[in-house]
Amino acid sequence: MKILKVLTVCVLVSAAAYGQALDLKNLEKLSDKAKNVTDITLDGSLLKFAAKFLSNDDPDQAKVKKLVAELKGIYVRTYEFESEGEYTESDLAPIRSQLRSGWSRIVGVHSKKERDNTEIYLKSAGAAEPGGLAIVCANPTELVVVNIVGKIDLDELSELGGNLGVPKLDLEKSKPSKPESKKDND
Amino acid sequence: MSNLEDELRRALRREEPPADFADRVLAQLNQPAAPSWWERFSVLMKPPRLQWVAVTLMVSILLPTAALRYRREQQIRAEGERAKEQLLIAVHVAGSRLHHAQRKVLESGRMETRL
Amino acid sequence: MGGFAVRVQEVPERAAQVALPAFADIVREHQGMVYSLAWHFLHDRALAEEMAQEVFMELHRHLADIQSPEHLVFWLRKVASRRCIDQTRRRAFWPKFGLDEVPEPVAKTRSSDPMLSRTLAKLVASLPEKARAVVVLRYQEDLDPSDIAQVLDMPVGTVKSHLQRSLGMLRDKLARTTGEIAI
Repeated sequence: MKILKVLTVCVLVSAAAYGQALDLKNLEKLSDKAKNVTDITLDGSLLKFAAKFLSNDDPDQAKVKKLVAELKGIYVRTYEFESEGEYTESDLAPIRSQLRSGWSRIVGVHSKKERDNTEIYLKSAGAAEPGGLAIVCANPTELVVVNIVGKIDLDELSELGGNLGVPKLDLEKSKPSKPESKKDND
Repeated sequence: MSNLEDELRRALRREEPPADFADRVLAQLNQPAAPSWWERFSVLMKPPRLQWVAVTLMVSILLPTAALRYRREQQIRAEGERAKEQLLIAVHVAGSRLHHAQRKVLESGRMETRL
Repeated sequence: MGGFAVRVQEVPERAAQVALPAFADIVREHQGMVYSLAWHFLHDRALAEEMAQEVFMELHRHLADIQSPEHLVFWLRKVASRRCIDQTRRRAFWPKFGLDEVPEPVAKTRSSDPMLSRTLAKLVASLPEKARAVVVLRYQEDLDPSDIAQVLDMPVGTVKSHLQRSLGMLRDKLARTTGEIAI
Protein backbone atom coordinates (compact mmCIF):
# COMPACT_ATOMS: atom_id res chain seq x y z
CA MET A 1 0.00 0.00 0.00
CA LYS A 2 1.20 3.29 -0.93
CA ILE A 3 2.37 5.31 1.94
CA LEU A 4 2.23 8.98 1.37
CA LYS A 5 5.24 10.82 2.49
CA VAL A 6 3.94 13.85 4.10
CA LEU A 7 6.20 16.69 3.67
CA THR A 8 4.62 19.47 5.32
CA VAL A 9 6.09 22.75 5.08
CA CYS A 10 4.56 24.22 8.03
CA VAL A 11 4.86 27.83 8.08
CA LEU A 12 3.63 28.87 11.35
CA VAL A 13 2.71 32.37 11.07
CA SER A 14 1.36 34.01 14.06
CA ALA A 15 -0.85 36.88 13.21
CA ALA A 16 -1.23 39.78 15.52
CA ALA A 17 -4.30 39.82 17.68
CA TYR A 18 -6.12 42.18 15.46
CA GLY A 19 -4.40 41.32 12.22
CA GLN A 20 -6.04 40.27 9.00
CA ALA A 21 -6.23 36.70 7.84
CA LEU A 22 -3.89 35.58 5.09
CA ASP A 23 -5.36 35.54 1.64
CA LEU A 24 -5.39 31.85 0.73
CA LYS A 25 -7.54 32.07 -2.38
CA ASN A 26 -4.72 31.17 -4.74
CA LEU A 27 -4.55 27.72 -3.16
CA GLU A 28 -8.07 26.88 -4.26
CA LYS A 29 -6.91 25.74 -7.66
CA LEU A 30 -4.95 22.96 -5.98
CA SER A 31 -8.21 21.31 -4.91
CA ASP A 32 -8.77 19.92 -8.37
CA LYS A 33 -5.39 18.23 -8.42
CA ALA A 34 -5.39 17.00 -4.85
CA LYS A 35 -6.43 13.54 -3.80
CA ASN A 36 -7.62 14.75 -0.42
CA VAL A 37 -8.44 18.24 0.67
CA THR A 38 -9.16 19.70 4.07
CA ASP A 39 -10.61 23.17 3.90
CA ILE A 40 -11.65 24.74 7.17
CA THR A 41 -12.61 28.37 7.60
CA LEU A 42 -13.84 29.42 11.01
CA ASP A 43 -14.02 33.11 11.58
CA GLY A 44 -16.05 35.62 13.51
CA SER A 45 -19.41 34.35 14.59
CA LEU A 46 -18.90 30.86 13.17
CA LEU A 47 -15.87 30.37 15.40
CA LYS A 48 -17.82 31.55 18.44
CA PHE A 49 -20.74 29.36 17.40
CA ALA A 50 -18.49 26.31 17.18
CA ALA A 51 -16.81 27.10 20.50
CA LYS A 52 -20.20 27.21 22.20
CA PHE A 53 -20.58 23.49 21.59
CA LEU A 54 -17.27 22.55 23.19
CA SER A 55 -17.85 20.64 26.36
CA ASN A 56 -16.41 21.85 29.64
CA ASP A 57 -16.55 18.31 30.93
CA ASP A 58 -14.10 17.04 28.33
CA PRO A 59 -10.56 18.08 29.29
CA ASP A 60 -9.39 18.38 25.66
CA GLN A 61 -12.39 20.37 24.59
CA ALA A 62 -12.14 22.60 27.61
CA LYS A 63 -8.53 23.37 26.64
CA VAL A 64 -9.57 24.14 23.09
CA LYS A 65 -12.33 26.39 24.37
CA LYS A 66 -9.82 28.34 26.43
CA LEU A 67 -7.36 28.42 23.54
CA VAL A 68 -9.75 29.87 21.00
CA ALA A 69 -11.44 32.32 23.37
CA GLU A 70 -9.59 35.32 21.96
CA LEU A 71 -9.21 34.16 18.40
CA LYS A 72 -10.70 35.97 15.46
CA GLY A 73 -10.31 33.15 12.98
CA ILE A 74 -8.79 29.79 12.16
CA TYR A 75 -8.05 28.78 8.58
CA VAL A 76 -6.72 25.41 7.52
CA ARG A 77 -5.92 24.21 4.02
CA THR A 78 -4.49 20.74 3.54
CA TYR A 79 -3.83 19.23 0.12
CA GLU A 80 -2.60 15.70 -0.43
CA PHE A 81 -1.49 14.71 -3.89
CA GLU A 82 -1.11 11.38 -5.60
CA SER A 83 2.32 12.21 -6.92
CA GLU A 84 5.06 14.76 -6.68
CA GLY A 85 5.11 17.91 -8.72
CA GLU A 86 1.42 18.71 -8.45
CA TYR A 87 2.21 22.04 -6.89
CA THR A 88 5.22 24.31 -7.12
CA GLU A 89 6.84 27.14 -5.23
CA SER A 90 4.92 29.60 -7.39
CA ASP A 91 1.70 28.36 -5.78
CA LEU A 92 3.13 29.35 -2.43
CA ALA A 93 4.58 32.63 -3.65
CA PRO A 94 1.51 34.80 -2.93
CA ILE A 95 1.43 33.47 0.62
CA ARG A 96 5.13 33.94 1.15
CA SER A 97 4.90 37.51 -0.11
CA GLN A 98 2.23 38.25 2.51
CA LEU A 99 4.50 36.79 5.14
CA ARG A 100 7.35 39.12 4.26
CA SER A 101 5.64 42.15 5.65
CA GLY A 102 4.99 42.37 9.37
CA TRP A 103 5.75 38.71 10.04
CA SER A 104 8.75 37.17 11.76
CA ARG A 105 9.88 33.70 10.97
CA ILE A 106 10.67 32.08 14.28
CA VAL A 107 11.28 28.52 13.15
CA GLY A 108 12.47 27.00 9.93
CA VAL A 109 13.08 23.28 9.64
CA HIS A 110 14.25 21.80 6.40
CA SER A 111 14.76 18.08 6.17
CA LYS A 112 16.74 16.88 3.18
CA LYS A 113 16.02 13.27 3.88
CA GLU A 114 12.28 13.72 4.23
CA ARG A 115 12.21 16.70 1.86
CA ASP A 116 10.10 18.36 4.45
CA ASN A 117 10.01 22.10 4.90
CA THR A 118 8.49 23.56 8.01
CA GLU A 119 8.28 27.26 8.74
CA ILE A 120 6.68 29.08 11.61
CA TYR A 121 5.92 32.78 11.53
CA LEU A 122 4.58 35.10 14.14
CA LYS A 123 3.15 38.45 13.37
CA SER A 124 4.77 40.95 15.65
CA ALA A 125 2.11 42.50 17.79
CA GLY A 126 4.14 43.88 20.62
CA ALA A 127 2.03 41.98 23.12
CA ALA A 128 3.24 39.35 25.54
CA GLU A 129 1.67 36.66 23.39
CA PRO A 130 1.77 36.55 19.65
CA GLY A 131 -1.26 38.01 17.93
CA GLY A 132 -1.47 35.35 15.34
CA LEU A 133 0.14 32.36 13.81
CA ALA A 134 0.72 30.95 10.38
CA ILE A 135 2.03 27.52 9.58
CA VAL A 136 3.15 26.38 6.17
CA CYS A 137 4.27 22.81 5.81
CA ALA A 138 5.34 21.56 2.41
CA ASN A 139 6.59 18.26 1.16
CA PRO A 140 6.51 16.75 -2.31
CA THR A 141 3.03 15.28 -1.94
CA GLU A 142 1.38 17.43 0.67
CA LEU A 143 0.88 21.04 1.44
CA VAL A 144 -0.55 22.38 4.66
CA VAL A 145 -1.24 26.01 5.40
CA VAL A 146 -2.67 27.07 8.72
CA ASN A 147 -3.45 30.64 9.65
CA ILE A 148 -4.68 31.64 13.09
CA VAL A 149 -5.74 35.20 13.71
CA GLY A 150 -5.87 36.42 17.27
CA LYS A 151 -4.10 35.87 20.53
CA ILE A 152 -2.94 32.30 20.82
CA ASP A 153 -0.86 30.44 23.34
CA LEU A 154 1.67 28.46 21.32
CA ASP A 155 2.51 26.10 24.15
CA GLU A 156 -1.12 25.22 24.67
CA LEU A 157 -1.62 24.74 20.96
CA SER A 158 1.44 22.55 20.65
CA GLU A 159 0.33 20.46 23.60
CA LEU A 160 -3.05 19.92 22.05
CA GLY A 161 -1.47 18.91 18.79
CA GLY A 162 1.10 16.62 20.32
CA ASN A 163 0.46 13.04 21.26
CA LEU A 164 -0.29 13.90 24.83
CA GLY A 165 -2.20 11.02 26.34
CA VAL A 166 -2.66 9.48 22.92
CA PRO A 167 -1.38 5.99 22.29
CA LYS A 168 1.13 5.61 19.49
CA LEU A 169 -0.32 3.71 16.60
CA ASP A 170 1.30 0.83 14.90
CA LEU A 171 1.05 2.15 11.38
CA GLU A 172 2.09 -1.07 9.71
CA LYS A 173 -0.59 -3.32 8.28
CA SER A 174 -2.98 -4.20 11.03
CA LYS A 175 -3.16 -7.76 12.16
CA PRO A 176 -6.21 -9.48 13.63
CA SER A 177 -6.19 -9.00 17.36
CA LYS A 178 -7.98 -12.23 18.19
CA PRO A 179 -7.20 -15.77 17.10
CA GLU A 180 -10.71 -16.24 15.79
CA SER A 181 -10.65 -12.89 14.12
CA LYS A 182 -12.18 -12.55 10.71
CA LYS A 183 -10.09 -13.19 7.70
CA ASP A 184 -11.61 -10.32 5.89
CA ASN A 185 -8.94 -7.78 5.31
CA ASP A 186 -5.26 -7.83 4.85
CA MET B 1 1.57 -1.01 20.79
CA SER B 2 -2.05 -0.88 19.58
CA ASN B 3 -2.87 -1.68 16.05
CA LEU B 4 -5.36 0.10 13.88
CA GLU B 5 -8.15 -2.41 14.32
CA ASP B 6 -7.97 -2.26 18.09
CA GLU B 7 -8.00 1.51 17.93
CA LEU B 8 -11.02 1.39 15.66
CA ARG B 9 -12.86 -0.86 18.11
CA ARG B 10 -12.02 1.60 20.84
CA ALA B 11 -13.05 4.63 18.82
CA LEU B 12 -16.26 3.01 17.63
CA ARG B 13 -17.40 1.43 20.86
CA ARG B 14 -21.05 1.74 21.66
CA GLU B 15 -22.36 4.71 23.58
CA GLU B 16 -25.67 5.23 25.21
CA PRO B 17 -27.88 8.07 24.05
CA PRO B 18 -29.09 10.64 26.62
CA ALA B 19 -30.91 9.14 29.57
CA ASP B 20 -34.35 10.27 28.46
CA PHE B 21 -34.04 8.85 24.96
CA ALA B 22 -36.40 5.92 25.49
CA ASP B 23 -38.93 8.18 27.18
CA ARG B 24 -38.87 10.50 24.21
CA VAL B 25 -39.43 7.65 21.79
CA LEU B 26 -42.37 6.45 23.83
CA ALA B 27 -43.71 9.98 24.12
CA GLN B 28 -43.72 10.26 20.36
CA LEU B 29 -45.59 6.98 20.11
CA ASN B 30 -48.10 8.20 22.66
CA GLN B 31 -48.83 11.43 20.89
CA PRO B 32 -52.36 11.42 19.57
CA ALA B 33 -52.56 11.65 15.85
CA ALA B 34 -53.62 15.03 14.56
CA PRO B 35 -57.31 14.94 13.74
CA SER B 36 -58.01 14.38 10.07
CA TRP B 37 -59.78 17.05 8.10
CA TRP B 38 -62.92 14.96 8.17
CA GLU B 39 -62.88 14.67 11.90
CA ARG B 40 -62.46 18.40 12.27
CA PHE B 41 -65.21 19.00 9.79
CA SER B 42 -67.61 16.58 11.48
CA VAL B 43 -67.06 18.32 14.80
CA LEU B 44 -68.16 21.55 13.27
CA MET B 45 -71.26 19.91 11.88
CA LYS B 46 -72.39 18.70 15.31
CA PRO B 47 -74.58 20.77 17.67
CA PRO B 48 -72.66 23.73 19.00
CA ARG B 49 -69.43 22.56 20.57
CA LEU B 50 -67.38 25.62 20.14
CA GLN B 51 -65.00 24.57 22.85
CA TRP B 52 -64.10 21.43 20.88
CA VAL B 53 -63.71 23.44 17.71
CA ALA B 54 -61.41 25.78 19.55
CA VAL B 55 -59.38 22.91 21.01
CA THR B 56 -59.08 21.25 17.62
CA LEU B 57 -57.98 24.48 16.02
CA MET B 58 -55.45 25.10 18.73
CA VAL B 59 -54.05 21.59 18.45
CA SER B 60 -53.87 21.96 14.70
CA ILE B 61 -51.91 25.16 15.03
CA LEU B 62 -49.79 24.49 18.10
CA LEU B 63 -48.65 20.97 17.31
CA PRO B 64 -47.01 21.82 13.98
CA THR B 65 -45.53 25.00 15.47
CA ALA B 66 -43.99 23.10 18.36
CA ALA B 67 -42.76 20.43 16.00
CA LEU B 68 -41.22 23.05 13.73
CA ARG B 69 -39.51 24.74 16.62
CA TYR B 70 -38.18 21.44 17.92
CA ARG B 71 -36.91 20.59 14.45
CA ARG B 72 -35.24 23.97 14.13
CA GLU B 73 -33.47 23.54 17.45
CA GLN B 74 -32.36 20.08 16.44
CA GLN B 75 -31.03 21.50 13.21
CA ILE B 76 -29.11 24.24 15.00
CA ARG B 77 -27.67 21.74 17.42
CA ALA B 78 -26.64 19.51 14.54
CA GLU B 79 -24.91 22.40 12.78
CA GLY B 80 -23.22 23.40 16.00
CA GLU B 81 -21.84 19.91 16.48
CA ARG B 82 -20.50 19.92 12.94
CA ALA B 83 -18.86 23.30 13.45
CA LYS B 84 -17.37 22.06 16.69
CA GLU B 85 -15.84 19.05 15.02
CA GLN B 86 -14.32 21.28 12.32
CA LEU B 87 -12.84 23.45 15.05
CA LEU B 88 -11.32 20.46 16.81
CA ILE B 89 -9.79 19.21 13.58
CA ALA B 90 -8.37 22.65 12.78
CA VAL B 91 -6.81 23.00 16.21
CA HIS B 92 -5.44 19.51 16.03
CA VAL B 93 -3.87 20.06 12.59
CA ALA B 94 -2.32 23.36 13.69
CA GLY B 95 -1.11 21.96 16.96
CA SER B 96 0.37 18.84 15.44
CA ARG B 97 2.37 20.83 12.89
CA LEU B 98 3.62 23.14 15.59
CA HIS B 99 4.48 20.20 17.77
CA HIS B 100 6.27 18.54 14.88
CA ALA B 101 8.35 21.64 14.25
CA GLN B 102 9.16 22.03 17.90
CA ARG B 103 10.32 18.44 18.06
CA LYS B 104 12.63 18.95 15.11
CA VAL B 105 14.02 22.09 16.67
CA LEU B 106 14.70 20.33 19.95
CA GLU B 107 16.40 17.49 18.10
CA SER B 108 18.69 19.88 16.30
CA GLY B 109 19.09 22.44 19.03
CA ARG B 110 18.64 25.32 16.61
CA MET B 111 15.67 27.36 15.52
CA GLU B 112 16.80 27.38 11.94
CA THR B 113 17.81 23.90 11.15
CA ARG B 114 18.66 21.89 8.13
CA LEU B 115 18.66 18.12 8.55
CA MET C 1 -37.34 -15.79 24.24
CA GLY C 2 -40.71 -17.50 23.90
CA GLY C 3 -42.12 -14.59 25.86
CA PHE C 4 -40.57 -12.25 23.32
CA ALA C 5 -42.23 -14.04 20.40
CA VAL C 6 -45.58 -14.01 22.17
CA ARG C 7 -45.29 -10.28 22.86
CA VAL C 8 -44.54 -9.59 19.21
CA GLN C 9 -47.39 -11.63 17.88
CA GLU C 10 -49.82 -10.08 20.30
CA VAL C 11 -49.53 -6.55 18.94
CA PRO C 12 -52.70 -5.85 17.05
CA GLU C 13 -53.48 -2.42 15.61
CA ARG C 14 -55.18 -0.92 18.63
CA ALA C 15 -53.03 -2.63 21.21
CA ALA C 16 -50.24 -0.06 20.99
CA GLN C 17 -50.90 1.12 24.51
CA VAL C 18 -50.84 -2.39 25.90
CA ALA C 19 -47.63 -3.29 24.04
CA LEU C 20 -45.79 -0.11 25.02
CA PRO C 21 -44.20 -1.36 28.24
CA ALA C 22 -42.75 -4.29 26.30
CA PHE C 23 -41.66 -1.99 23.50
CA ALA C 24 -40.00 0.28 26.05
CA ASP C 25 -37.84 -2.66 27.10
CA ILE C 26 -36.88 -3.24 23.50
CA VAL C 27 -35.92 0.40 23.09
CA ARG C 28 -33.84 0.44 26.26
CA GLU C 29 -32.09 -2.79 25.37
CA HIS C 30 -31.09 -1.73 21.88
CA GLN C 31 -30.90 2.05 22.05
CA GLY C 32 -27.14 1.99 22.58
CA MET C 33 -26.54 -0.04 19.45
CA VAL C 34 -28.84 2.01 17.24
CA TYR C 35 -27.70 5.36 18.56
CA SER C 36 -24.05 4.39 18.28
CA LEU C 37 -24.49 3.24 14.69
CA ALA C 38 -26.03 6.58 13.84
CA TRP C 39 -23.49 8.59 15.83
CA HIS C 40 -20.45 6.87 14.41
CA PHE C 41 -21.88 7.11 10.94
CA LEU C 42 -23.14 10.67 11.00
CA HIS C 43 -20.79 12.09 13.67
CA ASP C 44 -23.54 14.44 14.68
CA ARG C 45 -25.17 13.79 18.02
CA ALA C 46 -28.44 15.59 17.44
CA LEU C 47 -28.89 13.95 14.08
CA ALA C 48 -27.92 10.59 15.53
CA GLU C 49 -30.60 10.92 18.20
CA GLU C 50 -33.15 11.90 15.64
CA MET C 51 -32.15 9.00 13.40
CA ALA C 52 -32.28 6.52 16.27
CA GLN C 53 -35.73 7.73 17.25
CA GLU C 54 -36.95 7.29 13.70
CA VAL C 55 -35.59 3.74 13.61
CA PHE C 56 -37.52 2.81 16.72
CA MET C 57 -40.65 4.49 15.41
CA GLU C 58 -40.32 2.40 12.29
CA LEU C 59 -39.72 -0.69 14.41
CA HIS C 60 -42.95 -0.04 16.25
CA ARG C 61 -44.80 0.04 12.97
CA HIS C 62 -43.24 -3.24 11.87
CA LEU C 63 -43.14 -5.06 15.17
CA ALA C 64 -45.42 -7.78 13.89
CA ASP C 65 -42.82 -8.71 11.27
CA ILE C 66 -40.12 -9.47 13.82
CA GLN C 67 -39.63 -13.18 14.21
CA SER C 68 -37.02 -13.50 16.94
CA PRO C 69 -34.59 -11.52 19.08
CA GLU C 70 -31.86 -12.24 16.55
CA HIS C 71 -34.07 -11.02 13.76
CA LEU C 72 -34.78 -7.89 15.76
CA VAL C 73 -31.09 -7.08 16.07
CA PHE C 74 -30.56 -7.76 12.38
CA TRP C 75 -33.56 -5.60 11.50
CA LEU C 76 -32.37 -2.70 13.64
CA ARG C 77 -28.87 -2.80 12.19
CA LYS C 78 -30.22 -3.00 8.66
CA VAL C 79 -32.68 -0.16 9.02
CA ALA C 80 -30.29 2.06 10.95
CA SER C 81 -27.55 1.56 8.36
CA ARG C 82 -29.89 2.17 5.46
CA ARG C 83 -31.30 5.33 7.00
CA CYS C 84 -27.84 6.67 7.79
CA ILE C 85 -26.71 6.11 4.22
CA ASP C 86 -29.83 7.81 2.88
CA GLN C 87 -29.47 10.66 5.34
CA THR C 88 -25.89 11.33 4.28
CA ARG C 89 -26.91 11.54 0.68
CA ARG C 90 -29.63 14.05 1.48
CA ARG C 91 -27.70 16.21 3.91
CA ALA C 92 -27.10 19.81 2.95
CA PHE C 93 -24.01 21.76 3.93
CA TRP C 94 -23.91 24.29 6.74
CA PRO C 95 -26.47 27.07 6.70
CA LYS C 96 -25.58 30.16 8.68
CA PHE C 97 -27.16 30.68 12.08
CA GLY C 98 -27.24 33.68 14.33
CA LEU C 99 -25.79 33.16 17.77
CA ASP C 100 -29.05 34.20 19.38
CA GLU C 101 -30.70 31.10 18.02
CA VAL C 102 -28.25 28.75 19.63
CA PRO C 103 -29.83 26.72 22.42
CA GLU C 104 -27.74 25.26 25.21
CA PRO C 105 -26.31 21.92 24.16
CA VAL C 106 -28.31 19.12 25.69
CA ALA C 107 -26.38 16.04 24.74
CA LYS C 108 -23.45 15.50 27.05
CA THR C 109 -20.30 14.47 25.34
CA ARG C 110 -18.08 11.80 26.73
CA SER C 111 -15.43 12.98 29.09
CA SER C 112 -11.80 12.07 28.85
CA ASP C 113 -12.08 11.09 25.20
CA PRO C 114 -8.61 10.58 23.84
CA MET C 115 -7.81 12.76 20.88
CA LEU C 116 -6.84 9.73 18.91
CA SER C 117 -10.17 7.98 19.29
CA ARG C 118 -11.95 11.16 18.39
CA THR C 119 -9.73 11.74 15.40
CA LEU C 120 -10.23 8.17 14.27
CA ALA C 121 -13.97 8.36 14.71
CA LYS C 122 -14.02 11.55 12.71
CA LEU C 123 -11.95 9.99 9.98
CA VAL C 124 -14.33 7.06 9.84
CA ALA C 125 -17.19 9.52 9.47
CA SER C 126 -15.43 11.00 6.47
CA LEU C 127 -15.31 7.73 4.55
CA PRO C 128 -17.68 7.20 1.61
CA GLU C 129 -21.10 6.12 2.88
CA LYS C 130 -21.02 2.43 2.12
CA ALA C 131 -17.43 1.99 3.23
CA ARG C 132 -18.30 3.87 6.40
CA ALA C 133 -21.23 1.58 7.10
CA VAL C 134 -18.99 -1.45 6.58
CA VAL C 135 -16.34 -0.12 8.96
CA VAL C 136 -18.84 0.82 11.65
CA LEU C 137 -20.60 -2.52 11.48
CA ARG C 138 -17.27 -4.33 11.57
CA TYR C 139 -15.68 -2.51 14.49
CA GLN C 140 -18.63 -1.33 16.51
CA GLU C 141 -20.75 -4.46 16.13
CA ASP C 142 -17.90 -6.90 15.49
CA LEU C 143 -19.74 -8.45 12.56
CA ASP C 144 -18.26 -10.87 10.07
CA PRO C 145 -18.06 -9.70 6.47
CA SER C 146 -20.78 -12.22 5.61
CA ASP C 147 -23.07 -10.73 8.26
CA ILE C 148 -22.25 -7.22 7.08
CA ALA C 149 -23.07 -8.31 3.54
CA GLN C 150 -26.51 -9.44 4.68
CA VAL C 151 -27.21 -6.31 6.66
CA LEU C 152 -26.18 -4.00 3.85
CA ASP C 153 -27.42 -6.25 1.08
CA MET C 154 -24.11 -6.30 -0.80
CA PRO C 155 -21.77 -9.06 -1.97
CA VAL C 156 -19.24 -10.37 0.55
CA GLY C 157 -16.42 -9.54 -1.81
CA THR C 158 -17.54 -5.93 -1.92
CA VAL C 159 -17.62 -5.79 1.87
CA LYS C 160 -14.08 -7.11 2.04
CA SER C 161 -12.91 -4.59 -0.56
CA HIS C 162 -14.48 -1.76 1.37
CA LEU C 163 -12.78 -2.94 4.55
CA GLN C 164 -9.39 -3.27 2.96
CA ARG C 165 -9.50 0.10 1.23
CA SER C 166 -10.93 1.86 4.25
CA LEU C 167 -8.25 0.56 6.59
CA GLY C 168 -5.63 1.76 4.16
CA MET C 169 -7.21 5.19 3.90
CA LEU C 170 -7.61 5.50 7.63
CA ARG C 171 -4.03 4.49 8.22
CA ASP C 172 -2.76 7.10 5.79
CA LYS C 173 -5.02 9.87 7.02
CA LEU C 174 -4.24 9.17 10.61
CA ALA C 175 -0.53 9.24 9.95
CA ARG C 176 -0.89 12.65 8.36
CA THR C 177 -3.19 14.07 10.99
CA THR C 178 -0.94 13.11 13.88
CA GLY C 179 2.10 14.45 12.06
CA GLU C 180 3.75 11.07 12.01
CA ILE C 181 5.86 10.27 9.06
CA ALA C 182 5.53 6.75 7.80
CA ILE C 183 8.59 5.45 6.07
